[in-house]
Amino acid sequence: MLWIKNGIVVDPKNKIKAEKMDIFVKNGKIVSEKEVKKEECKVIDASGKLVVAGGVDMHAHIAGSKINTGRTMRPEEMRVVRNIAGKFRATVGRVLLTAPAIGYEYAKMGYTTSFEAAQPPVGALHTHEELDAIPMIDKGALPVFGNWHLVFKCIEEKNIEKLKALIAWAIERTKGFGVKVVNPGGVEAWMYGGNVKSLDDQVPGFNVTPREIITMLIKANEELGLPHSVHLHCNNLGVPGNFQTTIESIKLAKGFSNSKRQVLHVTHVQFNAYAGSSWRDAASGAAEIAKVVNSMDNVTIDMGQPIFGHATAMTGDAPFQFTLHKLTGARWSNKDTEVETGAGIVPLVYLPNNPVHALQWAIGLELGLLVDSNKVALTTDYPNGGPFTEYPYVMAMLMSKKMREGELSRVNAYVQKATGLASIDVEKTLYEVIHMTRSLPARILGLENKGHLGIGADADIAIYNLNPLETDTSRDFEKVYKAFKVAEYTIKAGEIISKNGEIVNEVFGRTFWVDARKKADIEAVMKDVKDYFQYYSVQLGNYGVEERWIRKPERLEVV
Amino acid sequence: MIVIKPKKYFEVCVEAELTPELATKSVEEVKKFKIYYGNRVVELGELFEVEKIGEEKKLVLDGDFSRVKWIGARMVDGEILVKGSVGANCGAFMKGGRIIVEGNADDWLGIEMAGGEIIVKGNAGNLVGCAYYGDAVGMTAGKILIEGNAGNYIGEKMNGGEIVIKGNAGDFVGTEMRAGVIEIHGSCGFVGGDMRGGEIRIKGSFELLPTFKKTEKGWVGDVNVKGEGVIKSL
Repeated sequence: MLWIKNGIVVDPKNKIKAEKMDIFVKNGKIVSEKEVKKEECKVIDASGKLVVAGGVDMHAHIAGSKINTGRTMRPEEMRVVRNIAGKFRATVGRVLLTAPAIGYEYAKMGYTTSFEAAQPPVGALHTHEELDAIPMIDKGALPVFGNWHLVFKCIEEKNIEKLKALIAWAIERTKGFGVKVVNPGGVEAWMYGGNVKSLDDQVPGFNVTPREIITMLIKANEELGLPHSVHLHCNNLGVPGNFQTTIESIKLAKGFSNSKRQVLHVTHVQFNAYAGSSWRDAASGAAEIAKVVNSMDNVTIDMGQPIFGHATAMTGDAPFQFTLHKLTGARWSNKDTEVETGAGIVPLVYLPNNPVHALQWAIGLELGLLVDSNKVALTTDYPNGGPFTEYPYVMAMLMSKKMREGELSRVNAYVQKATGLASIDVEKTLYEVIHMTRSLPARILGLENKGHLGIGADADIAIYNLNPLETDTSRDFEKVYKAFKVAEYTIKAGEIISKNGEIVNEVFGRTFWVDARKKADIEAVMKDVKDYFQYYSVQLGNYGVEERWIRKPERLEVV
Repeated sequence: MIVIKPKKYFEVCVEAELTPELATKSVEEVKKFKIYYGNRVVELGELFEVEKIGEEKKLVLDGDFSRVKWIGARMVDGEILVKGSVGANCGAFMKGGRIIVEGNADDWLGIEMAGGEIIVKGNAGNLVGCAYYGDAVGMTAGKILIEGNAGNYIGEKMNGGEIVIKGNAGDFVGTEMRAGVIEIHGSCGFVGGDMRGGEIRIKGSFELLPTFKKTEKGWVGDVNVKGEGVIKSL
């Protein structure tokens, strides 16, 4: 039992704007004062300190074959020693961290939940083995559907029942959480050396278009009623002029609705918000995208904010990765994942004096500032945009124009004419930024007990050395950055796991997965699944992950 | 001048960044210098005998140091004389000064070296003057002289400086080389794959890739990467 005394609570989901109050914890949940015996509680004095829910990272690449291949091809990343083996595990990594380092670094920062955003279905076992190796946080994984031959077949036949059955079957088999779509149709085209350029290009070998893939998957996802919506990495990612494609894709959500959440989440939009016709005249398309997102009530986005310094681009978008490799001349790894998807990996450094990098940096911030804070979550698309350990930098930047002015003066002047960042006066409030990092990502993912401090919520709590009643977030940006960088206390399921940046207790979080089998007739697709297994390197009986193999599985059943 | 002698045969490798900087310290301080014996941190005095003769900034390693890694790593000035063989990573990242090895050198000699001089009287292993795992650029300046033979991957990703081998070398000399000079007085295997610049001079026989064009300067390539490296006979 825990009693967090006199903290200043900011809890956007429960509309609490910086109020002095006490929080009580029992059996890993937040409970009311009546339910605890105060004399038995461990008391944490949080006087004058900010008390919020543990951070929720809704889109990061933390487990699976991609980050692991990234680690293999970047031995230079492993020279930064973060923790020497002793009471806790040895951890290394500059931006590409080892599995225990991921858990420890999230915990130090006050984050307690993170979702792997692209899991190739056939690689599910690897993904879960790695998720199981990450301590401290709760996690989940989103399997990818946008280039799967069997998905194409269902869409070609316009057979929504079969598609629903396939999704329900695949999510159960892979112990996945939702429907991720990466460059729909484009990765399949890449198998022939090409890509798709618009929503109406035909996918080679199939009578389907990206438009049909996205629309049908949204329809199937909504009819199944999964906790999370379709999670879309748009076509034409990383191509100047792509903001038009992004806007068209966002508009595909029209005609669908859901009372609890969005029906389409468009991810790392920064990489998809470029105007212009080449990198010579590229500019920001963030304002146009923001206008469209703000005008719709069923779409959310996340930023994909680049951080200056080292990063590693890794996506299921294999053709984009090849373009990037050609552009930078850096190392490149490519993968064709059987009949399901593909992937690519390229090392990257974001430099402030490089006009393209500065542009990307400015666009990420523009999206964060211009889009309604109820619709944009804070991410760096780790490790594509940079380390998640720099979330506090992004938080501070969103809250302070003064800090942005300082940063603008040290980046390439190209951003002054190619973006509107310098003229944006918006300063997000602390309340909004806490929403963008906690309650909003939890709502987007459909995790009802995460991201807030209401009664019954998971007792994932972060306490920061920052008094929101006395801090001017616009002026004291350095203080804000420092405070969010290292949580004074991080509490996971009621246990103190990190204190002032020191890990004090290693715990293992749960792995969420969604069971929607009751919402579909699985048999409708099994004949096709069996047919397709002649193309797989594994037998159907060996495909997928059993629940008992996972350390702490948490099944969310859709009924 | 500090003279260091091994006390015994090392069961596992020792990792010790021994530099001429030690010669500026007292014998007691040198004996307390922290080194790795396998995975254990030990004091230098546990494994080596130490003697001080005069104030010259020079380190004499007297005996077999073939199981001691990282000798002269990151050194900036002074001199190291090894009266025997050295282990891997000798002279890694060094910026100045001189290392003389009277015996043989193991792999990774002078990796990413940025200045100074290394002279090996015997043979050297693989990866001389190349880039460390994952890094983009190898040796950038300085000189490495090997009087005997050397192994594979000599001067990989080299971006300046000079490597001279009096004997033979193995395969993949100057792979992805950008600048600098490699001189081989004997023979070697494949040369200059993905070479972008610099010069490789060879006295004996060697294997040329089909991606080099013959010009009056010598063989120019690698055309696969639009390289302008030159390979020619000494």
